[in-house]
This record gives sequence, structure tokens and C-alpha cells, in this order.
Amino acid sequence: MDKGKDMVVKFLIVALLQVAIFASIYETNCMECHKSMPVKIDKFFYRYLLKYSSEENLKSALTEYLKHPTKEKTILQAGLLNRFGIKKPTTLNDKELKEAVDEYWEIYKVFGKLK
Amino acid sequence: MLKSWDTNLLSREKQTLRSFFLLYTVFTITLLSILGAIYYNFQKDLMLQKNRLQLSYLANEQVLRLKALHVNFDKDRTYPRDKRFKSAIYDSSKKQIFSTFGKKHIDFNEVIYMEDSKIYLIKEPESYYLGTKYLVLEVPSNNAWLSKVYKTLALYGVAIFLLMMVFGYFLLKLLLRPMREAIELLDRFIKDTTHELNTPVNAIMSNIEMIDKNTLDDKLAKKIKRIDIGARTVSNLYQDLTYLTLAHKIVSKDENVDLEELLKERIEYFSLFCESKKLRVRLTCGAKTTLHIDRKKITKVVDNLLSNAVKYNKVKGSIDIKLGKNYFEVKDSGRGIEKAKISEMFDRYARADESVGGFGIGLSIVSMIASEYALHVEINSEFKKWTKVKIWW
Repeated sequence: MDKGKDMVVKFLIVALLQVAIFASIYETNCMECHKSMPVKIDKFFYRYLLKYSSEENLKSALTEYLKHPTKEKTILQAGLLNRFGIKKPTTLNDKELKEAVDEYWEIYKVFGKLK
Repeated sequence: MLKSWDTNLLSREKQTLRSFFLLYTVFTITLLSILGAIYYNFQKDLMLQKNRLQLSYLANEQVLRLKALHVNFDKDRTYPRDKRFKSAIYDSSKKQIFSTFGKKHIDFNEVIYMEDSKIYLIKEPESYYLGTKYLVLEVPSNNAWLSKVYKTLALYGVAIFLLMMVFGYFLLKLLLRPMREAIELLDRFIKDTTHELNTPVNAIMSNIEMIDKNTLDDKLAKKIKRIDIGARTVSNLYQDLTYLTLAHKIVSKDENVDLEELLKERIEYFSLFCESKKLRVRLTCGAKTTLHIDRKKITKVVDNLLSNAVKYNKVKGSIDIKLGKNYFEVKDSGRGIEKAKISEMFDRYARADESVGGFGIGLSIVSMIASEYALHVEINSEFKKWTKVKIWW
């Protein structure tokens, strides 16, 4: 019986490790927190798009905010800002951050999605 | 006034007039083109401004639809379409996000413009819905205004052009008046003078002919010869001037003229002149050549060429006359003509050398007769050595 439990635990650990290994930086570092938030991560994207329009502007504004978040730079509405406050600066290095932001753009960009 | 245009104007002057007229026409056309372009652009702007308000309303409607789509993008991804126009959206880096009119180059510096019969309106929404910084609307242009503009341009263009041409004609006449008056004065003077010359010259010549030369002593015979030469010179001049002033009244009597016979006859006529200058005259004849021409006129041509060859020759010089199948030429050993002056030689009153008497009308007459019978006149010369005039057909 114990042996059987051990097997299940081992299997879970392997599975988790596998997820950890194959999951992207975006998924492990952004989605992990955002998925439990009441406002979904795509809403943030469209607020950024509304303000920054192009890929280049959006990515640089987002990167800048993630590195040095301030009240002035946030795109959060006042109500949400009061409730949640601003996030802490990212712990990712520039390369990882770029990778995460690029993936975020690729998932939610409008290009090629309109019909 | 333009009736005697050809005979009254020199070729250089005609060229100047031609240049003036060309310049004037080019200037008129350029001016009309610029005015036309300004008018066209003005009318186009007017038409665009008329369309702008209506297109702005349509753009605002489209912006509202984009806004709705932006909010519901997770549920609906259908680009809003409208039957009244085609549209496209671009982000702030001018990259096309979506378009219903395909890929086209858009001039983002304009608010409204026309290209390929389509009107484009560029609208910047207050927020970048779906990343849209520029919303571009495309509607086909109604070309009624264009045909109206073309009609007006054609009508006024032609009218102004004609008006300018009439104006140019009077301007030209005004400019020509002093020049024409000077030539007319000279012509009239010559005409009057010639008329008075005729009777005395004829009297001298007929009286000399009546003198029996054999009864005279050498000294007197020489004097008579000189008088004869002088009288013939005046007679030639008289005939030239008459021809020049009355050319249009002379009716041609064309016949087959044996050129060899004619040349011999004219050389004989000029023999006294040649003798006086001790000139050696040589006639070389090829095949028997006849020309269907007015005898008086071809005689005039030959006389003028011979007269020049004698007049401009040096003492003890030579005159070589050649007759070929389709040409004859007279070459002297005189003072020649400078290259630059050769083209002016056919102008009336033009003279290469002012030191010898004459009016400068000889070659002008040759040229007139030559052009009447489609003969070609070619002058070759080496300055201070020789001059050769060739007539060919």
C-alpha cells in the first residue's frame, strides 16, 4: 500500500518537474499569479494596446513597467489600483523578461486575428 | 501688309521672327499650363472639402464600431464592414492591422486626398481601439467634377490661347513696322531710280552699237570700249533691279535651253569685262545639257554669276566655268568669302566685300530664280583664294 502511495507521489513530482521544465517563462512567471486574479491577463493587454498602439511601443512600455512599476506608469483603473496596489519589480533578467513579453504579445496581438 | 512677306524680309530676320514666335508660343503654353494646374488643384481641393464632412461622419461611426469590437474582442473578432466605404486600420508604426481594400500606400500626412479616382480620409481615433492609431476610409470619387473641370479648362484654355496668339500677331506687326519701313523705303528708292535709268542707258548702248569700230583709230576704239563696258554694267544692274522689284509681275516662258550655247553667249557678252581685267576664261563642257526654263531667267542667273566672278576677281586672274550633266559651276580666283558669311550671301543687300561697287542683290536674284525652278545653289569658298558657285538640279 505504502509502495503504491510512494509511486503516486513520485509520479506527481516527475509530472510537476516536467511542467516546470517545459512551461515557458511567461507561464511560470506571469500566468501563475494572474490566473488567480479577478481581472484576466488579456484585459491588461487590451488596455496596453488602447494606450500604446504599436508592438514596439507596447512592449517597451510593458517592460519598463515590469522592471520599475510606479503609479504613474500603470494602466490599471483607479478602483483596481486602490484595491490591489502596484506590483513588485520583476526578478527576471532582461532576456527572460523579453521572452515573456514577446510571448504575451504573440498570444494576444490583434494582427491576423480579425476576419 | 503681309502680302510681300517673302520678298521683303531677310532670312536672318525671318529666323528671328520664327524664334520670337516659338518663344512666345512656348511662354503662352507654359503660362496656360500653370494656370490650368492651379485651377485643377483648386477645384480638387474644393471637391475634397465637400466630401470631408460626410466622410468624417462615416469615420466616427466606424470608430464606435471599433471601440465595441475592442471591448468584446474575446467574444467577437469580425471586423466591422460598411457598404458605403472600404476601410483599413493601422497602428502607430503605420503597420496595417486589417484592411478591406487590400494593401495600399497611404499618405498619412494628409487628412483627405485623392488617388486613382478614390478618395481617402485619414482619421485618428481618440484611443487606440485594437491598436488603431489611423483609420483610413476609401470611397470611389464621383468624376463628374473632373469632366466639368476638363471642359472648363479646354474651353478657357483654347480661348485664352487664341487670344494670346492674336495679341502676339499684333505685337509682331508692331515690332516689324520699323524694319519693314526701312526695307520698303529702299525698295521704293531703287524702283524710282531704275525707272529713270532705262532710257539713257538704252540710248548709250544702241548708239555704241551703231558706231562702225573699224573706222576708228585705236585710241578712240579703246575709249568706246570703256564706255561700252560701263553702259553694259549699268544695263545689267538695271535688269537686276527691274527683276527684283517686278519679279512677281514677270510671266515665265519656259523652253528647252541649251546651256552650252547660253554659257558661250554670256561669256562673249562679258568678254569686254574680262579683257579689261585681263582675266583668263575657260569653259569646260561635258555632255550636251538642256534645261527647261525661262531663257531670260537662266540668263539672269548666269549673268550674275559671271558678273560676280569678274567683279571680285583679281587682275590677271581666272574664271573656270564647268558644265556637267546636271550642274554648272563658276569658279573665280578672287578674294573669296569668309565661311561665316556664306550663309548670308543670298540675303538682299548683303555683300561680302564693300570695297567693290554694287547693291548686293545678285545672289538674291539667283536664289529667287533657283527656288522657283527647284535648282540647288551651293557656294564654296576659300577666303582670299577662290569662290565657287555651283548650280545643280
